[in-house]
Amino acid sequence: MAASMRLLVRRVIRLSHRNVNVTAAGLPGRSGCCWAPSSCRCFSDAAGDKSTHFGFETVSESEKAKKVYKVFENVAQKYDVMNDAMSLGIHRVWKDMLLHVMHPQPGVRLLDVAGGTGDIAFRFLEYVRSQQERQKRRAARSMQTPSWQDISNNYSTEDEDGPQESTAVVCDINKEMLKVGKQKADSMGISAGLSWVVGDAEELPFDDDQFDIYTIAFGIRNVTHIDQALQEAQRVLKPGGRFMCLEFSKVTNPVLARLYDTYSFQMIPVLGEVIAGDWKSYQYLVESIRKFPDQEEFKGMIEDAGFYCVRYYNLTGGVVALHSGFKL
Amino acid sequence: MLRNVLGRLVTDTVRVHRYVNGAPLIQRLTPASVSVRSFSDVKDEVQQPFDASLLEFLVCPLSKKPLRYEAETNELINDELGIAYPIIGGIPNMIPQEARLIQKDTDTTTTTTPTQG
Repeated sequence: MAASMRLLVRRVIRLSHRNVNVTAAGLPGRSGCCWAPSSCRCFSDAAGDKSTHFGFETVSESEKAKKVYKVFENVAQKYDVMNDAMSLGIHRVWKDMLLHVMHPQPGVRLLDVAGGTGDIAFRFLEYVRSQQERQKRRAARSMQTPSWQDISNNYSTEDEDGPQESTAVVCDINKEMLKVGKQKADSMGISAGLSWVVGDAEELPFDDDQFDIYTIAFGIRNVTHIDQALQEAQRVLKPGGRFMCLEFSKVTNPVLARLYDTYSFQMIPVLGEVIAGDWKSYQYLVESIRKFPDQEEFKGMIEDAGFYCVRYYNLTGGVVALHSGFKL
Repeated sequence: MLRNVLGRLVTDTVRVHRYVNGAPLIQRLTPASVSVRSFSDVKDEVQQPFDASLLEFLVCPLSKKPLRYEAETNELINDELGIAYPIIGGIPNMIPQEARLIQKDTDTTTTTTPTQG
């Protein structure tokens, strides 16, 4: 109740700043009588209740989380289709690059935060499995003329080791996105080594020193307190663990930047309206990209969280940056 | 839960009657097979293991202490703080605001999080 009154008061002040006549009759009677104390509280609270950006809008921090949740709840069903349409399929290349740089070995544990529909987790499991097969093939080639005893031994050990080792946990704050991801997994028949958890990146429900790799792909710009998310990443990673972040970033080349801006602001919301029926969410998406810190600044933030050997790779001329750091 | 199964039965049979134009025999058969399937589907969803191996590293986001899996209510319980996190569709929901306060009488959702980090 107090919160809604605070919002009301703030809205009124905003309106009055714009020299719009707000009649007292417009306000509910209750706010009229406690105007004085609530306005005082409002000003002091405004100092404490920090505001942040939601795209190009300014909102309070609590509002941002709710609004972001709403955005992804709306787009969850069409998320993958929209990704393909907006990036012209290039997002697959970006994600494959992430896996390539990650180069996971069989037996590692991955935490994919803001993993939503599970793209990174699926790629991870596939990569690890193909790695295992490559190793098996190499082992088989090295054994020139195996005896039947050796072959039967190999078969028995293979089944035990394989599926148990590498695990991927997909964590997302949004249930709808995870539901879509789980459906995808079920339809692709991937279930071994894959887990789904609803959780907040700023308050991860995982114990310390648990994961070998922490990834967050195109999710960190939606987090209200990025530094908290980075600290949580530091906490849950094992010593020697790797933090990897794929995110839209600043384009360095000015010509490309101009083209990219035009494409972003003219095409993407239109695509959003046509395909997903949601202009505003994709307007938010495009604006939130502009609000996110650039490569160097984000690198600094990662270093502040306690990661070492932080570096970034620019993909597609800086449209996307892959940041990587280690917990040592 | 039984209501959900019955509801699904009803909608499935209605749907089948609407779309199937074939012989009445088939019509009569399909609802039965659908109902059998729906029963097993519901059972599968509930049994769909909440993967207990998750409990190895899953903790309460507030206290960072390990949780206890309660099979009857299908929840993860933090006895220390007295809250229960629901598991929906095999996916545990570890958002503090969605957790249930375990008290003797009340059953309301709680906002115990100190949101300033």
